[in-house]
Amino acid sequence: MNRFRRQFAFGMLALVAATVGALWLHQKFGALPNHAFLTGWALLAGMFGLTIYNARKKLPFLPLGSSETWLQVHIYLGFFTTLLFLIHLNFRVPHGWFEITLAWLFGLVSGSGMVGLFFSRVLPRRLATRGGEVIFEKIAAQRHGLQIAAENLALGTEAKSLFIAEFYAQRLAAFFSGPKHFWLHLAESRRPVSTLLAGLEELRRFASEGERDKLDRLAALIRQKDGLDYHRALQLALRLWLFVHIPLTYGLLVFTGLHIVLVFGFSGGAR
Amino acid sequence: MPFAPTMLERPQRWDAAFGAEMTDATVARLLATAPFSQMAAEKFPKRTPLCEILGNDTRVLRFRKGEIMVRQGDYGTSAFLILNGTARVVLKPDLAPALLGRQAPGKKGVFRTLAQLWNGSRPAEYLARQKPGQAAGLGARQDADKVRVFLQDIPRVLDHHRTAEMFAGEFFGEIAALSRMARTSTIFADSDDTELLEIRWQGLRDLMKYDDALRAHINRIYRERALASYLRATPLFQHLDKAQLDRVAEAVEFATYGDYDWSGEYKRLAQSGSVRPEKEPVIVGEGDYPNGIVLLRAGFARVSQKFGGGERTLNYIGAGQIFGLEEIAHNWRTKGSAVSFQFSLRAIGYTHLLIVPTQVMEEIVLPSLPKNELPPPVQPAADHFDSAPSASGSQPPVARPESVGAEMLEFLTENRFFNGTATMVIDLDRCTRCDDCVRACAATHDNNPRFLRHGPSAGRLMIANACMHCADPVCMIGCPTGAIHRESFAGQVVINPETCIGCKACFTNCPYDAIRMVEVRDAKGEFLVDQEMRPIAKATKCDLCVENHGGPACERACPHGALGRINLNHLDALSKWLKL
Repeated sequence: MNRFRRQFAFGMLALVAATVGALWLHQKFGALPNHAFLTGWALLAGMFGLTIYNARKKLPFLPLGSSETWLQVHIYLGFFTTLLFLIHLNFRVPHGWFEITLAWLFGLVSGSGMVGLFFSRVLPRRLATRGGEVIFEKIAAQRHGLQIAAENLALGTEAKSLFIAEFYAQRLAAFFSGPKHFWLHLAESRRPVSTLLAGLEELRRFASEGERDKLDRLAALIRQKDGLDYHRALQLALRLWLFVHIPLTYGLLVFTGLHIVLVFGFSGGAR
Repeated sequence: MPFAPTMLERPQRWDAAFGAEMTDATVARLLATAPFSQMAAEKFPKRTPLCEILGNDTRVLRFRKGEIMVRQGDYGTSAFLILNGTARVVLKPDLAPALLGRQAPGKKGVFRTLAQLWNGSRPAEYLARQKPGQAAGLGARQDADKVRVFLQDIPRVLDHHRTAEMFAGEFFGEIAALSRMARTSTIFADSDDTELLEIRWQGLRDLMKYDDALRAHINRIYRERALASYLRATPLFQHLDKAQLDRVAEAVEFATYGDYDWSGEYKRLAQSGSVRPEKEPVIVGEGDYPNGIVLLRAGFARVSQKFGGGERTLNYIGAGQIFGLEEIAHNWRTKGSAVSFQFSLRAIGYTHLLIVPTQVMEEIVLPSLPKNELPPPVQPAADHFDSAPSASGSQPPVARPESVGAEMLEFLTENRFFNGTATMVIDLDRCTRCDDCVRACAATHDNNPRFLRHGPSAGRLMIANACMHCADPVCMIGCPTGAIHRESFAGQVVINPETCIGCKACFTNCPYDAIRMVEVRDAKGEFLVDQEMRPIAKATKCDLCVENHGGPACERACPHGALGRINLNHLDALSKWLKL
């Protein structure tokens, strides 16, 4: 069994065990008057455990164990904390703007984490399969190089094929001008590049031998550009989820702090 | 327009002499000096006469008292002959690392570890203003274009260390040069104007080849100093008593294959895309009669099999591994159904090996082995051209693990990555390109990352541009100050920034582009410059977080277990890691 499958199996096992345990505890002690306080503090402890993974990342020079182990614990704890959150809510729909905002924040943080987990397990393999490792920061420069090469080929001083120039102006100029088809690449669709290549293929009927060579070179540039777009889309997705997950975590922590203050400020004789 | 090729003389071996200052008079003087005066010049072939070897493969070096000639632990390509004056070899205890221009081994303390929290705000490549050789007891001086490092307090060294004097006419460094092993002792000049003849490897090889006395002398030294202990440590000979071991040692033959300066040649071939197994020197040919087992002492060799019109790599073997035991054991056990060598063995780079003749194996070694330690009988392959490597026929000496595919093996071999003992391998199937490894490296090295998360890849594996801490560290050859060194014997290769003079020797030698030259800055972020306003450069590379607790930060920082520091000398570690 490889590492991911093992981690997944352990994760599922831990989640099922935690769910059964938590539900049993909820059934047994759910009616206690301080139930909300108990689950609330447990939830806070879980959230604290989740956030210190970020601190671990900031201290790589300390012998604090491998980040891989930390991430696994983070994932298991994340699932368990989500369950605890539902129990804390007593499986009811939150009400009031503050509670709703807090619930939304929690849901978005959990949801983005799960999306991130899915991306980090699925997208790297797809990137590797497509081949041609590209550094994300260099994609823009490489794309610009391809754009220049395609322009020179279709519109340069040596270009004398009007129909190729026309095709470039109508179909390819926009394609080479910037990153394209983020969502389609994420969905593993090859439709845009196939359409462009089919269009190019159509032109071969009118092309001389020299022009066919030019069309072949243009097709190669299109494939390269498509490959760059693919890498950009997937690598961007692997980064973007963190831009949701981490800032919202800070927001969630602020709201959680306020929530605790409000609970203790206004709970009165509920304790 | 007619084609007009550029004509030039075909490059020859001695186009560039080892020592530019070698004159006819110097050569004449050497020819009158022992042991060259006792060599029979007529035994040398016309294309490599003795006088040309001396004129082109040697150079005369002069040292002042206290100047270090060779350091323990360094790698070198030359042997030395004392022409004039005296030298002193340090026996016990070894000189302190600081006296050899090295940093003292050890981990960071609690304060230095925690100080990394705020050291990240320093300017990039910050270096306190220091001069090379500022370590206590060590000095440095510039002679012409060479930097010489000297011991400042020789009486103290003599008081605290057992040493032995060496005189004119004595050789040293020949074993380390020939076997490409680390030098075992430090030797410094014991008189002013000590004169040494440095003989580069190619010259030493030819002198040994054509002069029986020198060959016998070096073989004797080798057998006395290195061979007995090596054989004793080899599991194959563990059942032999002392007398048997002595007989084996007496019969062992030494051989070297390949190019000593393989890294430069390899770089050239790699750039031209003409790295081919067929061009590598054959140690043992497939189908040859097995006349001895081959023990690899240093370097690497490719195990290959004929495939179509070329050679297919089945595995590579490194120091300590054995080739040919299966065939010889088979022939010994099953008289009458003798098999030839089933695979070819070719030197990759430079290979130093020992050959134990078949007769000695059959008479002494094989009878001593318990049955369960004998290899299984060989099953010759019916058709090598159509069969998969292991589908029929014998297994190669060290079978390729299943998880390492043929393509991956070719990739590791072609790029010489098997040299790495801590190669940064990235599994692209797991890597999310988050750069946590790079950030961790930077945070651990005062905000200066020491590798690039980029490099050649094959299938799901990428070998990043990070120091591999090679088994054969060609970067360590030629460092004038000893700044680049192993942390401990066979340990990590590290650079001491305090004694690095930025000469680029290691940077040029490294065939993997794992060393970078950086221009250092002061606390304000200004470049440090010399008197001529040229920026001061230092060599930097991955030090495997040798001073940090917990191991390499890059490996620990990867959230997906996609990065490993793997010993590629054998495939077992890689195979295990890939299966995880």
